[in-house]
Amino acid sequence: MNAAPLTVMPILATPLGIATLADAQQLNPVLTELFAQRAAADPAQARNPLRYTSSDDLLEWPETPVRRLADGIAGAVYSLIGRVSDITEAQLRSCKLEARAWVTRVRTNGAVPAAHHPLTAWCAIYCVAAPAAAQDRADSGVVRLYESRLGSTFQDATNSVLRIPFSASHYAWRPVAGQLVIFPASLTYEVALLRAAEELLLVTTRLRFIAPGQQGFARW
Amino acid sequence: MVGAITVRPLFATPFGEARLANCERLNRELEALFLGRETEEHRNPTPSHVPQAETFESRFNLFRWPENCVQELRNFMLNAVAQMVIETTSLKAQDIARLNFQNHTWFHISRYAGSFVAHNHPLASWSAVYCVRTGEAVAQHPDSGVLRFLDVRQGANAYLDPANATLQRAYALAPVELKLEAGQLVIFPSYVFHEVTPFYGSDIRITVATNCWFA
Repeated sequence: MNAAPLTVMPILATPLGIATLADAQQLNPVLTELFAQRAAADPAQARNPLRYTSSDDLLEWPETPVRRLADGIAGAVYSLIGRVSDITEAQLRSCKLEARAWVTRVRTNGAVPAAHHPLTAWCAIYCVAAPAAAQDRADSGVVRLYESRLGSTFQDATNSVLRIPFSASHYAWRPVAGQLVIFPASLTYEVALLRAAEELLLVTTRLRFIAPGQQGFARW
Repeated sequence: MVGAITVRPLFATPFGEARLANCERLNRELEALFLGRETEEHRNPTPSHVPQAETFESRFNLFRWPENCVQELRNFMLNAVAQMVIETTSLKAQDIARLNFQNHTWFHISRYAGSFVAHNHPLASWSAVYCVRTGEAVAQHPDSGVLRFLDVRQGANAYLDPANATLQRAYALAPVELKLEAGQLVIFPSYVFHEVTPFYGSDIRITVATNCWFA
C-alpha cells in the first residue's frame, strides 16, 4: 500500500486582480487637478466634508486624461478575465462592455461605508492618489474586502492559522497611486477610516458584459 | 497602457486529494468487514438527519475498531489530514504532534436510490471522505452517487454575464462535483456544505468519512 502525495488546491475561490497603469505617473497629477475642478463645481461636495463622491458618469467625460484612464481600466479588466475565464478573446470582444465610474475623495477621518454592486459582474478601484500609511492605524484607508464564508464558526488549533488564500478573515488592499484592484462585484467592500493628513483619491468602476443579442438588462 | 496583471485566489476553500495506490486488497477487506457489520448493533443510534432505508450509516467509532484493515485505513486518512494541515496552515509537523488529534469516523453503504442530504459538520475543522467502492456507473444517470460541494460564496452567482459565467475551476461559480473512485481520498473544511446525490447503480457504494478537530 502506497499513499500518493496529497494535492492541495483552492476551490470556490474569489479571483483578485492587481495591475499598474503604465503611464500613471504622468496621468495621476492631471487627473487630480481635473477631479478637483469638477468637484469644486459640484454642489454635492458640500454635503460631506470628509467624503466626496461624484456622479457615476465619469466614463462619459470627454477629457483626454479620463479617456486614457478608462482605456487602462478596461484593458486591465480584459486581462483579468483572460486569466480566470474560459471565454475566448473573440467571444469576449464580441460582447458589449457596460461600465459606470465615479470619483471618491476621502479626507482625514473619512471612510466609505460597505457596499457591493448588484447587476454588475466586476468592480475595479483605481488609486489616483494615496497618503503614506498612518502610524497610529494600520488599516487607515485600506480597501477592505469582506469575508463571506462561514469557516470562522468553529476554530481549532489548525484552521485558526490557515494561510492566504485559505485564511478566514477580511482581505485588505492598501491603495497605491497608479494601481488598480479588480474583484467580483458581488463582494462587499469598504474603505476603512482614513487617519492620514492627505487625501485618498479613488476611481471606482462597475462593469458588465452583454452578449450579442442578449436582452433584459436594465440600465443602472 | 496596463502593466502585467497579477491574479491570485482570495477567500478560497482548501481542497485536498490523495490516492491510495494498490488499494484493492484493503478495500476488499473493508468491504467484507462493513457488510458483515451492517447490523442494528453497529448502526448510528443518533443520526443527525432522517435516516434512509437505502443508506446504512455506522456508529462514529470506526477508527477504534481493532481490525488491521481499519487501522491501516486510519493511518492513511489521518496522516493525510495532518498533511493537509501542514500544507495549508502555518503549523509544522512538530506543532501538530503536540496537539490532541480527535476524530469521529463512520462508514456509509448505499444501495439503489440511496443519497445523503446536504449537510456540514459542526464542531469539527476538517472532514475527509475515502472511497472503498465507487459502485456501478449508470450511463443514463451521470450524476449518480456524486459527492457535491455547495458554493460557500453566498450570492456570488447572483449576476452572471458572458465573462464570469465560464470562470475556471478554482473560481467557477458552481458547486464542485466529484465522482469518487476507489482509493481516492478528499479533504475539505468541515463547514462546507456537501451532499451525495442518489446512487442508481445495481450494486453498492461504500465510503468512509471522518470529522477531525484539534485541541
